[in-house]
Amino acid sequence: MDAVTLIGFIVAGYAAFVTIAALLGVVLKAPRPKWLDQVAWMLEILAVVLAIGALAGWSAGRKPESLSTFLGYLGALVCLMPLALQTMRTDRSTWSSGVIAAAALATGVVAVRVMMVR
Amino acid sequence: MTATSPAKTRSGPHLVLLTVYAIFVLAAGARSLVQVFTAFDEAPIAYSLSVVAAATYVAGWFAIRRAAAGSAGFAKIMLWIELAGVVVVGVLSLAVPSWFPDDSVWSKFGSGYGFVPALLPILGLLWLWKVNPKETDESADSNRHLA
Repeated sequence: MDAVTLIGFIVAGYAAFVTIAALLGVVLKAPRPKWLDQVAWMLEILAVVLAIGALAGWSAGRKPESLSTFLGYLGALVCLMPLALQTMRTDRSTWSSGVIAAAALATGVVAVRVMMVR
Repeated sequence: MTATSPAKTRSGPHLVLLTVYAIFVLAAGARSLVQVFTAFDEAPIAYSLSVVAAATYVAGWFAIRRAAAGSAGFAKIMLWIELAGVVVVGVLSLAVPSWFPDDSVWSKFGSGYGFVPALLPILGLLWLWKVNPKETDESADSNRHLA
């Protein structure tokens, strides 16, 4: 298993953790805690590391089956969580945790897709 | 009453619906654009249906935003159209696989997306029913009266 695949699995696993943590907030009907933003930003950092690793693999000669699909997934991987956090910046309600859960789940799925198409 | 209504709709489950719709606008839109511009001749029906799905998600996103602001009419129509699209395309993809050499977004009821495309309009309709039960009851009453 190469380093990028390992990072991909870490991103997917961590995204699952963030999703569950955020869903827990929705189930408990609690306002969105500050630490949820921090763990979500941590996921973003991991996603950026994965994107850089995948791009490095591509520039080193690895050929994705469809370049547009590959680059599209990388864009989505990096942009999803900041967009969700920015949209919910002033909203600390219970359901804003649901938005973070949806964005984290999508980030995890895209991370898996990046590993499949790279 | 009028002053409290927008505050009530500012936060709620529709935020999650809007997020998932936005993700599907991105996913279905990008997928359909790539399919149409790189390999349209391979599966024209399936790829055209992907474009339709992407357009439906754009309309659905606006519809839910409007419904959250208090105007549910467009959302009701859009969500039923979306559900009908998923069911019809899902059934066709299983019944006439030759029309679908490659998958569209709604093929096999959205199995390529974890069946979220099939769940999304159902969840949207449940949300609409929950936020506008009075309206639904009133229309049911008027239907009963007409009958």
